[in-house]
Amino acid sequence: MAHVTITPFKKVLIANRGEIALRVIRTLKEMGIKSVAIYSEADRSSLHVRMADEAVCIGAAPSSMSYLNIDAIVTAGKITGADAVHPGYGFLSENADFADAVTKAGMVFIGPTAEAINLLGVKSTAREIAVKGGVAITPGSDGVVGKNFREVAKKIGYPIMIKASLGGGGKGMRACMEEKDLERMMKTAQAEAKANFGDDRVYFEKLVLNPRHIEVQVAADNYGNAVAFAERDCSMQRRHQKLLEESPSPFVTPAVRKKLQEAAVKLVKAAKYRGVGTVEFLMAPTKEFYFMEVNTRLQVEHPVTEAVCGQDLVKMQIEIAQGQPLTLTQAEAGAVRCHAVEHRINAEDSDRNFTPCPGTIEEWIPSGGLGIRVDSHMYTGYTIPSYYDSLIAKLIVTAPDREKLLARSRRALGEFVVSGVKTTIPFHQKILAQADFIAGNTDTGLIERMLAAEKKDEGEK
Amino acid sequence: MDTKLVTDITRWLKTTDLAEFCYQKDHNCIEIKTRDALPAPVVSECHLTAVTAPAIGFYHAAQKGKNLVLKEGQVLKEGDALGLIESAAKKHTLTAPVAGTLRIISAEDGKPVEFGQPLFFIEP
Repeated sequence: MAHVTITPFKKVLIANRGEIALRVIRTLKEMGIKSVAIYSEADRSSLHVRMADEAVCIGAAPSSMSYLNIDAIVTAGKITGADAVHPGYGFLSENADFADAVTKAGMVFIGPTAEAINLLGVKSTAREIAVKGGVAITPGSDGVVGKNFREVAKKIGYPIMIKASLGGGGKGMRACMEEKDLERMMKTAQAEAKANFGDDRVYFEKLVLNPRHIEVQVAADNYGNAVAFAERDCSMQRRHQKLLEESPSPFVTPAVRKKLQEAAVKLVKAAKYRGVGTVEFLMAPTKEFYFMEVNTRLQVEHPVTEAVCGQDLVKMQIEIAQGQPLTLTQAEAGAVRCHAVEHRINAEDSDRNFTPCPGTIEEWIPSGGLGIRVDSHMYTGYTIPSYYDSLIAKLIVTAPDREKLLARSRRALGEFVVSGVKTTIPFHQKILAQADFIAGNTDTGLIERMLAAEKKDEGEK
Repeated sequence: MDTKLVTDITRWLKTTDLAEFCYQKDHNCIEIKTRDALPAPVVSECHLTAVTAPAIGFYHAAQKGKNLVLKEGQVLKEGDALGLIESAAKKHTLTAPVAGTLRIISAEDGKPVEFGQPLFFIEP
């Protein structure tokens, strides 16, 4: 093992707002480390400003002038004498330039190195690392297909997706379900590619139908040690926005779990990654899984894993950044102590296409009792600014098994009172009444199907 | 409660120069205040224009090697230099937004300032 150097932090600046800023401040307090909050003019009355030991105003309300303003945040760190910066999630958390600026200013960035963020942030290089590390990626043509396209397609196996080489944003994409359609689909895709991007070159990728979004939390230290935790199933999403995450996945067997964890650790080691992170996989109904991407930060849904393994991931993140070696064994990290789910409560109107509903919270009575954790920055009388995201609370529920978990979630959502703004609480209640969800038959298309069925029902009435 | 008694007291109170009346017996208490008992609303108007920090950083009255002395009471033209704020990567210059008399200087040379912190007050 390399020589261990530990630099304990005395003061940490949190380069974020909202519930995640509170989340980090709480752990800092428990560790006896002073906290510095930064805030925009719109967040003067925000809880993170009150709860931190110090708070500084760094800019005007729009994120570009405050929470995304690297110069202002680094300056705030210098003025307050912080020795490290915690980026939270979103905003600058996966910005290599920010990590670099923090390091150059003589502070520690609590997260991976700028190089690792860059390497894993680019999809193609992340896929290369996965291949080198022996982690399966969605099979494809590995570049533009030529005259032998029939053999290439056969080798990948149907269904396949034909994608324009210069494409993006869903344009120039054609799904081909069977061999007999290949010729026709190929022509259509090439014509579309030519029309949209002036280049008719295309490549193939395996199309995973009804996939699940399965992700594995990892933690790695500066000395090459890495552990993987029990998976999170984040299949319940709408337009790539996760609404509900649970762990362990009802679809993953212990044998598959072990494979997932091994793949995640291999990838992290291949990338020489340090800190906490998440390896995302797409899982086919056959339980085969393919690497998608790495999130080089703490995730919104990290409390689900904290509940299942009984560890404080923010503390782990800070300890790794201080240079401490991981003491957690793979067996401890991978332990499944209970079932947990996170309901993301957003100030949105689910009846109106999930439009954000900023406003003043007139009444705030969060759920409580056994197995309930509410991470939130709300209070009665608080006005939600319209500049930022609409997440107002994370309701994390734990129980010994999935059946008890769903019963507890129904109870907890039932007692959660928010008035003054519309929230997604009623939508979560609908999810908990949905037969496929109850049975554990989820995939990334389930919420869209739920919404479509709802629309149809309304039409019939 | 005897409302007649209250009406009588109120009527009587108006004939006196008393502003407040309080009567207590056993568990009953009557307290009546006239408009005169309420404090006069404070109307404060500020004619001064505040110059606030456009960025977080360190305030310097002048660029390195130069000297700028600002004094309370001095007359400023619009656009006159008021120093600069130095952040980690940038220098933000400060100028007078209006012409007038520099009434209050709260900026201190070399001290850190937050975004939006008032540094000067000018009387146009």
